[in-house]
Amino acid sequence: MLFEQLLIVGIITGSVYSLVGVGFTLVLGVGKVANFAHGSFVAVGLYLALFASQTLGLNAYEAFVPAVALFVLIGFGVAELFEWRGRKVGEIGELLIGLALLLLIGGLLEVLFSDTPRTINGLVLGYADIAGLRISGTEFVAVAFTLVTAIGLYLFLRGSRWGRALRAVADNGEAAGLYGVRVPVARRAAVTISIVVAGAAGIVISPFTVLTPDIGSTYLISAFAVVIVGGIGNALGAVLAGIGIGVVTSLSSGYLASYWTSLAPLIVILIVLLVRPGLSEAV
Amino acid sequence: MTRLNLSASAWRWLALALFFVLGWLLLGALPAAAISVVVLALFYSAAGSSFNLLYGSLGIFSLAQPVFVAIGGYTSSYLFVRHGISPWIGMLAGMACAAIVAVPIGVVAMRRPGTVVTALVTLIVSEAATPVFSAITPLGGSIGLYIPVKSGTNWGALQFATGTPFARLFLVLNVLIIAGLMWFRRSRAGLWTAAIKDSPDAASATGVPVLRVRLLIFIASAMIAAVPGVLFAQYNLLVNADLFLGSAVLFQLLVVALVGGSARPWGTLVGALVMTELSQYFSDVAGDRPGIGPLTFAAAFLVMALAMPRGISGAWATFVNSRKARAAPGGGGARAPAVLNSFDQEGNEAAPAGSVSRDAAETETPTA
Repeated sequence: MLFEQLLIVGIITGSVYSLVGVGFTLVLGVGKVANFAHGSFVAVGLYLALFASQTLGLNAYEAFVPAVALFVLIGFGVAELFEWRGRKVGEIGELLIGLALLLLIGGLLEVLFSDTPRTINGLVLGYADIAGLRISGTEFVAVAFTLVTAIGLYLFLRGSRWGRALRAVADNGEAAGLYGVRVPVARRAAVTISIVVAGAAGIVISPFTVLTPDIGSTYLISAFAVVIVGGIGNALGAVLAGIGIGVVTSLSSGYLASYWTSLAPLIVILIVLLVRPGLSEAV
Repeated sequence: MTRLNLSASAWRWLALALFFVLGWLLLGALPAAAISVVVLALFYSAAGSSFNLLYGSLGIFSLAQPVFVAIGGYTSSYLFVRHGISPWIGMLAGMACAAIVAVPIGVVAMRRPGTVVTALVTLIVSEAATPVFSAITPLGGSIGLYIPVKSGTNWGALQFATGTPFARLFLVLNVLIIAGLMWFRRSRAGLWTAAIKDSPDAASATGVPVLRVRLLIFIASAMIAAVPGVLFAQYNLLVNADLFLGSAVLFQLLVVALVGGSARPWGTLVGALVMTELSQYFSDVAGDRPGIGPLTFAAAFLVMALAMPRGISGAWATFVNSRKARAAPGGGGARAPAVLNSFDQEGNEAAPAGSVSRDAAETETPTA
C-alpha cells in the first residue's frame, strides 16, 4: 500500500520536474545557454495564478490562455535580451542576464506578495481515491499536461521543419548556419518556447503547490538534475528523468529518513555521471 | 620593453602595499556598524576570488565554492568546539579537507570541458551540501555548531572583543589573495592556464598537462575558499548551513565575483565593495519595506551586468587596451577577422578577450 502511494506521489512531483526540465534542456541544447532564471518563470506562473484568483477572481485554468500569451511576450523579450548580450559579450553575458533575472524576479515577488508561503484555494476538480490515496483532479491535469507538452515538443522537434532546424543548431550551429538555418532566430525560438512552457507549468501546478518567492531556485535545481540525467537537449530523456527523479525522491523519503528527500536524487545524478561520463547532446 | 614591464609591475605591487596600509588605518577609524558591513564585503570578496581564479584563468564556472567555504568553517569549528584545537590550526585542516573534497568533485565536473556541464555538476554539489552537512551528527545537524566564547581578545582562539581585528584579518587575506593572483598570472602555471583557456587542444598538443592543471587550479581555489570560511565562522561564533550554504550565499558570492570581473586580480575586491555600497544605498533610498534588500541587490546587479558585462575590472582592461591599441600603429586592424566569422563564433571569441588581459590587446579591440 505504502509503495503504491509513494509511487503515485513520485509520478506527480516527477512530472512537474519533467515539465520544467523539458524547456531547460531545449535551451541548453539549442542556445547553449544555462538560463539561471528558468525556474523563476515557473514562480512567475505560480504567482500569476495567485494574482488571477485573488484580484481578478479567475481560477488557474481560466487564467491559462491570457497567461500563456503574456509568457510569449516575456519569452520574446528575454530571448532578445539573451541574444543581444550573447552577441556583444558571449557566454558570460548570457549567464549574467540569467542570474540577474533570477535575483530580480525573486526580489520582485517578495516585495509584491511578501515571503509568507501561500496556497491558492478554490480549484479542486473532484477527487479520485487510488490505493488509499486521495488525488485531486488538478494533479491529474498537471500530469496529463506534462505528457501532452513533452510528446508535443518531441514530435515538433522530430517531425517538423522548424524542429529539424532547432536540432541542427543544437548539433552544430555553424554548419546549420551554412545550410541556411537562421541560427539567432532558432536560438530565440528555443528560449521563448522554454519560457512559455515554464510559465504554463507554473499555472498548471498552482492549485496544489505552496508558493514562496524563492521557489524559482528550487525548480532551477530540479531542472539541472533532469538535464544531467536525461541528457542535454533530449526532450524524451527529460520526461523520463524527471519522473524517475520524482519517484526516487518520493520512495526514499517514505522508506528512509526525511533528509533523503534531497539527497537521493543527488546520488542518482552522481551514479549517472559516473556511469555515463559523456553527457549526450543529441536532441 | 622588459624595463617597462618591470616598472609597471613594480607600480602594481606598490599600489597594493599602499592600499593595504590605508585600508588597515581606515578600518581602525570606522564605527562598529560600518565594520560589520565591511567584514561582510571582505568575506564575500575573498570567497568570490576563489571563483574568479577558476573562471578567469580557465573559464571554469564553478558553483561549488560555498561548499568549500563551509568546509573551512565546519572543520575549524568542529576541531575547536569538540577538541579545543586552535582555529589557526583548524584553518590548515580546513584547507586540507577542502582540497580532499575538491578532488572527486573536480574529476566529475571537469571530465568534459564546457562551462555548462561544470556549472550543472557544481550546482548539484552545492545543493547536496546542505542535507549532507545536516545529516552528520557531530557537526550539529541542522542547528550547526556554536563556538564557545572566550572573554576579550584571544589570538589563539581567534576571538576578539570588536569586529575591527576581523576586518583587518579579512583585509590581510584579501591582500594576500590579490598578491597571489598577481604572482600567478606571471608564473608558468598562469601562462599554461592562459594557453588552456584559449585552446585546450593546442595547449595539450604543446605538452601542457591540461587535465592536471585544471584539477590543480580547482583544488587551489577550494583551499583558498576554505580560509574566509574559518574567519567568518569565528566572526559569527557559529557555523550552520544557513550561514554558509543556501542559494542566497551562492548568489551573493557569484554576484560579487562577476561584478568585479576576473580580468584583474583586484576585480573581486572592488566588486564586493561596490555591490555592498550600492545595495546599501538603494535600500536606504527605498526605505525599509520587507524584501527590498534582495530586490535592490538584484537591481544593482542588473545595472552592473548590463553596463559592464565583463565586470568592473573587465571594463578597465578594455579601456586600457583600447588606449594601447590607439597608441600602437595599425591598432584596431586585428578586429577584422572577427567580423568575418559567423555569429556563433564571434559570440564565443569575445568571451575570453577581457578575461585574460594580456591576450586581449592582441586578439581584438572589443566593440564599444
